[in-house]
Amino acid sequence: MSPSDTALRDPLTPRPTLGRPDDYLHSEHTLRSWLLTHDHKRIGILYLLSITFFFIIGAIAAGLVRLSLIVPNGMIFSNDTYNRLFSIHGIVMVWFFLIPSIPNTFGNFLLPIMIGAKEVAFPRLNLLSWYIFMVASLFTLADVVIGGVDTGWTFYAPFSTTFSSAWVVPALIGVIVVGFSSILTGLNFVVTVHTMRAPGMTWFRMPIFVWTMYATSLIFLLATPVLTITMLLLLMERGFHIGVFNPAIGGDPVLFQHMFWFYSHPAVYIMVLPGMGVISEVVPAFAQRRLFGYRFVAYASIALATVTFLVWGHHMFVNGMSEYASIAFSIMSFVVAVPSAVKVYNWTATMYKGAIKLRTPMIFAMGYVGLFVVGGITGLYLATLGVDEHVHDTYFVVAHFHYIMVGGTSIAFLAGLHYWWPKFTGRMYPEPWGVVAALFIFIGFNATFFPQFILGYLGMPRRYHEYPPEFQILNVLSSVGATILGAGYLFPMIYLVWSLRFGDPAPANPWDAKGLEWTIASPPPEHNFARVPQVDFEPYDYSEREQRT
Amino acid sequence: MSGAAVPVGIEVAEHFQDANQQRHAAVFGMWLWLATELLLFSGLFLVAIVVRVMYPDAVTAVALHLKFWIGATNTAVLICSSLTMSAAIELSRLGWRRGMLACMLATASLGTLFLALKGYEYWRDYVEHMTPFFGFRPYVLSGDRATQLLVDDYFIITGLHGLHLTTGVSVLLGLAWIARRPSFLRHHQHRVEVFGLYWHFIDLIWISVFPILYLLNR
Repeated sequence: MSPSDTALRDPLTPRPTLGRPDDYLHSEHTLRSWLLTHDHKRIGILYLLSITFFFIIGAIAAGLVRLSLIVPNGMIFSNDTYNRLFSIHGIVMVWFFLIPSIPNTFGNFLLPIMIGAKEVAFPRLNLLSWYIFMVASLFTLADVVIGGVDTGWTFYAPFSTTFSSAWVVPALIGVIVVGFSSILTGLNFVVTVHTMRAPGMTWFRMPIFVWTMYATSLIFLLATPVLTITMLLLLMERGFHIGVFNPAIGGDPVLFQHMFWFYSHPAVYIMVLPGMGVISEVVPAFAQRRLFGYRFVAYASIALATVTFLVWGHHMFVNGMSEYASIAFSIMSFVVAVPSAVKVYNWTATMYKGAIKLRTPMIFAMGYVGLFVVGGITGLYLATLGVDEHVHDTYFVVAHFHYIMVGGTSIAFLAGLHYWWPKFTGRMYPEPWGVVAALFIFIGFNATFFPQFILGYLGMPRRYHEYPPEFQILNVLSSVGATILGAGYLFPMIYLVWSLRFGDPAPANPWDAKGLEWTIASPPPEHNFARVPQVDFEPYDYSEREQRT
Repeated sequence: MSGAAVPVGIEVAEHFQDANQQRHAAVFGMWLWLATELLLFSGLFLVAIVVRVMYPDAVTAVALHLKFWIGATNTAVLICSSLTMSAAIELSRLGWRRGMLACMLATASLGTLFLALKGYEYWRDYVEHMTPFFGFRPYVLSGDRATQLLVDDYFIITGLHGLHLTTGVSVLLGLAWIARRPSFLRHHQHRVEVFGLYWHFIDLIWISVFPILYLLNR
């Protein structure tokens, strides 16, 4: 037992035994105690259930899109139905799954515990944020499905403001309102990190997960309001004919793209940074080594959150910007790769000479590192002006961002879900099934999206329903991969639910991992810590094992 | 000032260690909220400034049609309201509850005066055909298409600011209603300070709106 463990072993916290009345899951059982809870852990669980629901909706839409693309002539769905399907997929996955996925579930649950706090700074605001999320997202989902929104998730003007015949206005209202849920969560996290740290928990003793949550929250705060105003302007134009983006009534369509991507590029890092945080926790725990270059990883998180605000123009290289602006945006986009690469090198260096345990979270994490590298390097192709001219708006772009969003964020989400599942629920998931799911997802993912790089390079445009017959083989391959991927996602949904009842009871620290969350019982008691922890150790304090080898 | 001083303080919530931590969290949280508000408005300011750089003549034409004196009066009204709000905060620190209430009500009245003047200004705009988005009315500057984006931007900025001010006045009246209880300052003094930040910020937004829309290129 290392010094940090003895210092933190709280004599007042009894050994974990399931069904103990005072843990956060069992202290109260009523529905009311869940719906009116101020406990950050319970709110995290509420979010977990909500985003799982939205993930299923978005995944079904994606499955139907892939089904349609099996045949080149678009026989399976009508053009309108196809447009609606990819719009549902995009809107639901971006706004109701990826953006809230890690911050609002793991962040809510773990951030206060990791810094030794009893709660987030504003518990009521936290609950309000969940209600805003639920009302706005269900409202939007209903509009998008019933009203047949066909604009894609980007709502490009003037199509969205003038030509689309769908229920665009309600969908815009929904997206505006759901933004406030992000803003409130981000605000809560930043204030919590600044004011609620336990004694001795200095900034450079915080786990990287907290750093990435902090960086993500800054983006929530600084980017989301710009989306709010952009959507509000669309609303003004569509609802009241106040011309802002449509040139026919005095507006400027490129203005929309500038404002939209000023939010939506940073939003990419809202989705990516938390995944990086999860991987930075999982890799040291299963390599039993201190995270290599801790400070660099922390600084890289803040650097990403900063530089990401300066690259939005790379979405608009072919849309009539000046060439000097394009060159500047291209250079800045290359700069973003530096902090991302720092992280990849550091995770790899952490594994080097580590005592690696290939458990499910670690398999997911290793898959993440590989897929993130592919996604990142193809991002550099797209940042290169000449190459982007060729592959802009093709399946190459689709494959690139799915390598980041699915290969990156979704896999990191699953890594974190398995890693902290014992902490959330007090139960172990079945390890063999976890490994099977991880392999299915890795193989299925690559089979789905690697062919899309080739398709895009050969010139297949995104969002098209029909394509030349010579592309069919690659499209069928991609759809088969999507089936394997879908099966891979189905496994955790079944065995994790199964484990709630039949899983082995989890000890407080099943992975022999470091960090304050592993010093308290599984599941944690209602107020996390019986007494405020005194932090007198560095993060990722795996020195004991390192000395042994 | 009337009324004896009452005890001032903060009731510490369960998850905070002490009152200082709680006060710090509340004030810091409001500052972050204001940062989001700033970004909400900044895109609209950017539109106005870019239009000014690209079409200076159109901007001059629009600026001459805006009601400069109503805008200037409103600027003065809001600055006065910030003064009374500051007084309310000072008095809340001293525990002079009745004086604080009077200052809060004065602040709310000045905010309402601003909204009334703004409403009158909109009506004048309507009469002078400065509403390009109404299809049923001719638009006075229809010869110059570049003016339209700026006029639309003017209505959106001032409308959004008016919405914030309406919210501010409503919250202020609600706060004054709660603060009439003698025990308010003993438990929740920091609420006055936190709200004060928001009020000053709306004022500050107007202080940026006024030169950008009314003064530039006039």
